[in-house]
Amino acid sequence: MTAPILEIRDLSVNFGGLRAVDQVSFSIARNRITTVIGPNGAGKSTLFNLISGAIRPRDGQVLIEGVDCTGQPPYRMQAAGLARSFQITNLFFELTVAENLRLAAQILEPVSMAWRPVRSSRVAQRRVDDLLERFGLSGKAQYTAGELSHGEQRRLEVAVALACEPKVLLLDEPTQGMSHSDTRDTAELIRSLAADVTVLLIEHDIGLVMSLSDHVVVMYQGQKLAEGSPADVRANPAVQTAYFGHA
Amino acid sequence: MVDALTRSMRASHVLVAILVAASLAVAAFGVATNDTFYLRLATEALIFAGLALSVDILLGYTGLLSLGQALYFGLGAYLSALVLMVIPSFWAAFAATAVVAALAGLIGGFIVNRVRGVYFALITFGMAQVAAKIVYNTRALGASDGLIGVPVININLGIASVSSASPAGFFLFVLALIVILYALSAYLLDTPFGRLLIALRANEARIPFLGYRTMTPRLVAYVLAAMVAALSGALYPMLRGFVSPELFFFATSGNAVITVVTGGAGTLVGALYGSVLLTVLKSVIGSYTEHHLIVIGLLFMGAVIFLPKGLMGSVRPLIERMLAREPKQ
Repeated sequence: MTAPILEIRDLSVNFGGLRAVDQVSFSIARNRITTVIGPNGAGKSTLFNLISGAIRPRDGQVLIEGVDCTGQPPYRMQAAGLARSFQITNLFFELTVAENLRLAAQILEPVSMAWRPVRSSRVAQRRVDDLLERFGLSGKAQYTAGELSHGEQRRLEVAVALACEPKVLLLDEPTQGMSHSDTRDTAELIRSLAADVTVLLIEHDIGLVMSLSDHVVVMYQGQKLAEGSPADVRANPAVQTAYFGHA
Repeated sequence: MVDALTRSMRASHVLVAILVAASLAVAAFGVATNDTFYLRLATEALIFAGLALSVDILLGYTGLLSLGQALYFGLGAYLSALVLMVIPSFWAAFAATAVVAALAGLIGGFIVNRVRGVYFALITFGMAQVAAKIVYNTRALGASDGLIGVPVININLGIASVSSASPAGFFLFVLALIVILYALSAYLLDTPFGRLLIALRANEARIPFLGYRTMTPRLVAYVLAAMVAALSGALYPMLRGFVSPELFFFATSGNAVITVVTGGAGTLVGALYGSVLLTVLKSVIGSYTEHHLIVIGLLFMGAVIFLPKGLMGSVRPLIERMLAREPKQ
């Protein structure tokens, strides 16, 4: 049996006296969409920060394709095949949409290209064109990221994370603040991504979670409360009490 | 489709070409009128343009405010003076400066890049002040008097040679060198590595998630800027025949920052125009009043308020628009 593409074991971190993430373990299967849900303050974003190397865990392990990457800085996690987007849009706002994507895609080029003019970076340029098309941003390529609408920025946020062709893509509330129709389009987009990348998602829109996810992990007060298929999780009485607010 | 940043850089090239054309005209006029004073003044403007260029690489592109670039400028000037007094060869002085500046920049870079923002500015300031005090109090380096008696040299260019005493010849030589430093900086900033510097300024926090450590590009930018500053400084004793501790002082670093902000940060060419503007103003106003710094200060304030992008930051977009209209090549 091959190692799961991403596995976390007993991951924990404390913020002062607060156990923000408490012994969380799960693994995700290749080319599946796994969603982490839970009420505000459940530790979902902290969990993402631990997995992506933004903060170091106090305990536990992060394994990417069976390789222990625990406590590695984000640029090593990226090299291991993991990329992420942010809940609070984290772009190069004064640069163009195309340049945001090109910056994220330039790592696909061999190191020798780092000292040659960017116009000779053909691989990165193809990736940029491909992403612009796929994310419906072709018409906005020469706008600065700061000029985009909120929904477009959220889409670009995902595209930037995807640009380096990661094996695992962590998306922290990609539809945050989006209109209803934008949310639906983004869900379609995420579903289409799963063909070549494994997606781990944080999402609040329960309808979206249930229709999009292959697997759901429920967090509550820093701990994993349950996991399983969307239907299993929905039927779980503990989840209903903690998350949906009725028994 | 030409990339927006590439197009901006091309607009800077156009503005540099205009400056070079104007410089050639000035040189021709200087030769025709047998002028020394203005050609020497113009040469000085170009030397300080090199210092400002190094500030712009840090401030305008990488987003690092150095208040101590005089450290490397002074280092280059003193080193060049010392070498020239032993071996009167331009290339020996230039090579020695390049090597020592790279090492000094690396050491300095490791120190200052441990911190960000205002702390970075303060530590660069502090390091330059320490160096200034050391030079000021070292008898072997001439202490407060500096080093005098740097010989006139003949710069061997293979096919021809230029005397550092020839006003027009040395002016053109310095012009060529500063344009080469500009061209190398501009080339670098249009590579994926250079774009990483621009990204650092735009949003440093996202860089590690794109797969890059932030320390490496910051350090490389700092070392390159140190080298550009030092190589410009190395030309100073050739022009003046002496060096003094003032070259290390905050006034020198501060002037370079003012030059960049007035000329237009993040354009490279702004450093060149800014330096010409400030040097000329200082000389012209200085001939009327000794309080010329008041006028420079007011002009700087005016520039920040009314031209927040600086002179070239305001002019360059016009050229960019013209370039965008041209058919693709």
